[in-house]
Amino acid sequence: MKTLSRENLNLWLDGLAAQHALIAPHLEAPGVFYRPVQRAQEIAWEAGRPVLSAKEFLFPPSERLLKVEKRGPDVRLEASPSAAPQVIFGLRPCDARGIRVLDTAFVDTPPIDSRYASRRENTLLVGLACRSMGASCFCTAVGLAPDDPRDMDVMFSDRGATLAVQALTPRGEALIANLPLVEELGEVEPASRREVGGLPTAEAWKESYSDARWAKHGERCLSCRLCAYVCPTCRCYDVRDEALPSPPGEAHFERLRAWDSCMREGYRLTAGGHNPRAASGSRLRNRLLCKFVYYPHQYGPAACTGCGRCLDACPVNLDLLEIGGALQEAAQ
Amino acid sequence: MYEPKVIGFLCTWCSYTGADSAGTSRLKTPWNLRAVRVPCSGRVAPELILRAFDQGADGVLVLGCHIGECHYDSGNHRAAKRIPLLLSILEFAGMQPERLRLDWVSASEGDRYARIVSEFVDALRPLGPNTWRINGAAPRADAAIGMPLPAASGLSGGAPCP
Amino acid sequence: MSISEAMQSAARDVLASGQVQRVIGYETGPHGRVRPAIIDRPEEAERLVWSADCTHNLTVYLHRALTGENGRASREAVAPPARVAIVVKPCDSRAINVLLAEHQFSREQVFAIGMACEGMRQGAPASAPEATLQARCLRCRERVPVVHDVLLGEPPSALPEALPDEALAHVRDLPPAERAAFWLSQFDRCIRCYACRQACPMCNCPTCLFEQEDALWVGMRIAPSEKRTFHLGRALHLAGRCVGCNECERVCPMGIPIGLLNRHLAETVESLYGHRAGMQPVLSPVTGMLSAEESAP
Repeated sequence: MKTLSRENLNLWLDGLAAQHALIAPHLEAPGVFYRPVQRAQEIAWEAGRPVLSAKEFLFPPSERLLKVEKRGPDVRLEASPSAAPQVIFGLRPCDARGIRVLDTAFVDTPPIDSRYASRRENTLLVGLACRSMGASCFCTAVGLAPDDPRDMDVMFSDRGATLAVQALTPRGEALIANLPLVEELGEVEPASRREVGGLPTAEAWKESYSDARWAKHGERCLSCRLCAYVCPTCRCYDVRDEALPSPPGEAHFERLRAWDSCMREGYRLTAGGHNPRAASGSRLRNRLLCKFVYYPHQYGPAACTGCGRCLDACPVNLDLLEIGGALQEAAQ
Repeated sequence: MYEPKVIGFLCTWCSYTGADSAGTSRLKTPWNLRAVRVPCSGRVAPELILRAFDQGADGVLVLGCHIGECHYDSGNHRAAKRIPLLLSILEFAGMQPERLRLDWVSASEGDRYARIVSEFVDALRPLGPNTWRINGAAPRADAAIGMPLPAASGLSGGAPCP
Repeated sequence: MSISEAMQSAARDVLASGQVQRVIGYETGPHGRVRPAIIDRPEEAERLVWSADCTHNLTVYLHRALTGENGRASREAVAPPARVAIVVKPCDSRAINVLLAEHQFSREQVFAIGMACEGMRQGAPASAPEATLQARCLRCRERVPVVHDVLLGEPPSALPEALPDEALAHVRDLPPAERAAFWLSQFDRCIRCYACRQACPMCNCPTCLFEQEDALWVGMRIAPSEKRTFHLGRALHLAGRCVGCNECERVCPMGIPIGLLNRHLAETVESLYGHRAGMQPVLSPVTGMLSAEESAP
C-alpha cells in the first residue's frame, strides 16, 4: 500500500489548483457543493454528500454550442472553445460512476457529443473513499461500494494522518508520478457496507409497465425536475437559439443547450398538441424505466448509481426503493 | 457625465401624443429616451420592464393617462398597482429605485412630458451605468451576511467524508 | 381519541358516506418522513397521520384532483372526483380562499378538514432531536383554518407572542450594493428545477410565463440573470396571492431563501393596498380594480 501524508496532499492540491481548475467539495452557507477551489484549505473534508453531483462540470446546466454573427450578407459561425484541463478531487464513487454512465451515452456511442467529449478528455477523476454509507445511500444495491475505486483515475482512502493512494489509469499514474509516496505494510481497511434491498431486477422493471401503481405514485408527484437535476446520470437537454444584444447593423445569436427533464409536463409535447406522457405517473415511470431498462438496453450500464440524492431531495418523498420494492414483490 | 439609456413605455392615447405635442411645441427633451408605443400603461407587464433592465436599460419610464382618463377605463389603475410592487421588489433585490418611474401625461401636456423625462434623466446621470445586467457568471463567493439560511433539502443524507 | 385518530375517522366517514370520493392528507413514508397521501377508499384512512411534521401545503393537489389531471398512467378515461376532502392547516386554508376567488373550483367541491395548528417542526426527519418550530410558524399567530368544514384539535387559548421577521429586516437594512450581491449569490445557486413553482398552490398556470416556447420573457440559460428574472417575476405573480406557506423555500434543493421575496411583497401589498392574501375569498388587488376605484373619476 502506498501512502501520502496529509501535509504533502495539501501541498499537492495547492499545486494542482495553481495549474488546472481544481474542483472539490466546498462548504457554502446552505450545504456542500462541488465547486472550483483555489487552495486545499477550502475543501470540506468532514462533510456529507454534496447537494449536487459532479456532472455539471462535464455537462453544465447550460452552455453555448455556437455563436452566429450576421453582418449584412456575411454570416460568421463561431464554435465554443474546447475545454480547459480540470481535476475533480474528493469525488465520491457514486458520482464517478455517474460520469462513467454519461460517457457511455455521450462518448462511447456515436454520435459523439463534442462538447462533452472535450471536457471529458480534459478531466481527471480523483476519488476519496467514503468510510460508510449515509442513511439514504444505496450504492451497494447497484453493484458499487462506498470505497469503489473502479471509475476513478486516482483513489485516496483516508487513514488519519496519511492517505492510501492508488492509481487506476495511466493518466492517474502520470498525475501522481511525482508524489512523495511511502510504501507501508498492510491493506486499506474496507469501508463499512450496508446491504440495501428494494431494487427490482431489470425484468421486474420491464414487467411493471402497465402496473396501476404508477398512476398512484403520479398523483403525488409534483412534476418538478428536482430528481433529474440532482441525479448524477440524468442527461436530457433542450437546445434553442436565442438573440443576443448586438452592435448597430449586426445581429448576434447563440445556440444554447440547457438541462431539461422528462419529469416536466411539456417535455414530450408534440406538434399538434398531443402529449403522450401527459399523466405524471407515466412521466415518473419513464424516468425510472429509463434508468433501469431503456438506458442499459441502449448503452450498457444501468443509469443509477445509488447516491440517494433523489430520495432525500424529493419534496413529496417519492422513494425509488419503495416504488421498486413494491414492483419486485408484485413480480414474484 | 454618463448618458443613461432609458426605455420609455408610452401609452398611445395620452403619453405618446403628449410626446408628439412636446415635439411640435419645440420643447427640449433629452434624447436618452427610446420610446416604445403601447396601447395602454396597463399593458406594460412587469416582465417587460424586467426584460428591459436585463437587456441593459439604465432606466425605465412608464407613462400613461391620468387616473380616470384611461381609454380602457381601468388600465392605468392596474399599472398604478403593479408598478409600485415591481419597484419594491427591484429595490429589495438591490436596484436603485430612481431607475423606474411611473407617471401620467395627457395628450395635451407636452410641457409636462418634457419636464418628467428631463427630471428622470437628470436623476439617472449621477447614478452612472446600471450594474443590473450580468455578463457571464455572478460572483460565486457567498455573500455572508450573518443570517440563518435554509438548509439545502438534499443535505440530510450521506455519510460524512472521512 | 388522539388527533390523528380523529382525523382518520373524519376521513373514513366522508369517504364511506360518499360525501367525497378522495381524501388528500398525510402519511408516514420511508425513513419516518411525513409526506402527502391521496386515498380513495375508507379502509385506507388508517394510513393517515397528523403531527408537527405535516408541513406540506396539500392545496397544490386540489385543482389537479378535481379536474382529473391526476396522474393516471392508463388510457382509460377516469371521471374526476366530484368532491375532495383535504387536510388543511391555517396557512393552507388561506390558499383555498385564493383559489376560490380565482375560480379554480367551487367551495362545494372541497371538504376541508381543518386542523388546529400549533406550528410545524423544523427539519424533515421525524426523529430530529431538539425539535424547534419553523421560523415561519414562530411568526404566525393563526391557529384555526379560515376555511374548514370540520375543525379537529383544540386551538390554544393563549397565543405565544409572534416573533418579528428578523431575516427580512436584516436584508432590507443592507446597503443596496450588498443587497444586490446577496441576492445574486443566492440566485446563482438556482438550477431552475422549478420545484418552488411546482410545489406552489398559486403557481397554477397551464404554461408558465417563464417557460413559453415562443415568448422569450426570459432566456433558457441556467445563468444568474435568467434565474433572477424568474425568481423576481414569480414573486411578482404571487404578490397579494402568496399565503406564506413557505413550500417554495422548503423544497428548494439549493437552500435559496425564496420566502424572503414573497414576504417582502406580502408586506408591501398589505401596507399599500390593505390586503392579506386568503383571509377572504377575494382577488389580489394587483390583478383587478379595488372596489372603491371602480367608480373613481
